[in-house]
Amino acid sequence: MTMTNPPDDMLDDLFAQARNLAPVPDDALIARVLADAARPVPVLRPQPSVLAQMRAMIGGWPALGSLAAATVAGIWIGIAPPPVVADYATGLLGETVSLGLSAEEFMIAGDLSDG
Amino acid sequence: MPLARSQMTAVPDLFAHASDEDLLLAHASGDPRAAEALTQRLLPRVLAQALRMLANRAEAEDVAQDAMLRLWRIAPDWRRGEAQVTTWLYRVTVNLCTDRLRKRRHVAIDEVAEPLDATPSVAAQMQTRARLRALSDALAQLPDRQAQAVALRHLEGLSNPQIAGIMDISVASVESLTARGKRALSAIMAGRKAELGYDDDEPA
Repeated sequence: MTMTNPPDDMLDDLFAQARNLAPVPDDALIARVLADAARPVPVLRPQPSVLAQMRAMIGGWPALGSLAAATVAGIWIGIAPPPVVADYATGLLGETVSLGLSAEEFMIAGDLSDG
Repeated sequence: MPLARSQMTAVPDLFAHASDEDLLLAHASGDPRAAEALTQRLLPRVLAQALRMLANRAEAEDVAQDAMLRLWRIAPDWRRGEAQVTTWLYRVTVNLCTDRLRKRRHVAIDEVAEPLDATPSVAAQMQTRARLRALSDALAQLPDRQAQAVALRHLEGLSNPQIAGIMDISVASVESLTARGKRALSAIMAGRKAELGYDDDEPA
């Protein structure tokens, strides 16, 4: 390409001038860099998220699985108590007692007894 | 280069045949001479790359120190044969420079005008400095990836495959980024032609 446009000539000239720069690091910079190199490397481990920390506190995924299973079982026993539980509660409290933790549970229990 | 020698002569030529990677691993295992040899070898290149992009000595020195600091930090985790130290440093430095350029976009030009040296600066020197600063400011107006590709291609003189390795993109993407970047740069600089003395003085 023999035809060049003037802005590109200028740009090519500027690129060439930039490429010609060959700065020599001075003593102060070298000292800063070597001081960094001499410093012990901090152990940078990513911080676990709050959820991950709570999970670890409980005992990891296996513990969470058991916890979930126990929760489901508890809710189910609440909704449809096997006779042995109902008998035990009656024996203990002297009468039939129904306890619910939330409005939804009452609704679910209601649905079940209706059906 | 008398300035650099004073501290550097302390480093014996023990490592003449060691690769950058050998030196980095030696540094990681606690050999203090390895850091000196690496600094002697790599710091001038990192500083030059930063100065070409930023056209400001103080900023370039900060970037060079930061890039070297990241090298010291990665040393214990460096895996042999996975990457070239120079490629890694090019990438770190070009990223640090675009971070700086991005901040410059929000600052008025006259706020960052660099004070002139006390040395007898002839008009030509001042003009060169003004031109390189104008180029750097124009680079700051490009999208990051374009600025990086243009800088690696035209300021560092690297090949497209090398740039592709540094930027972790395809050669075709490098070609496209450099072409678009250079066109945009050209458009920005066209408006500053007279101011930078490219009207009366023949292009070199």
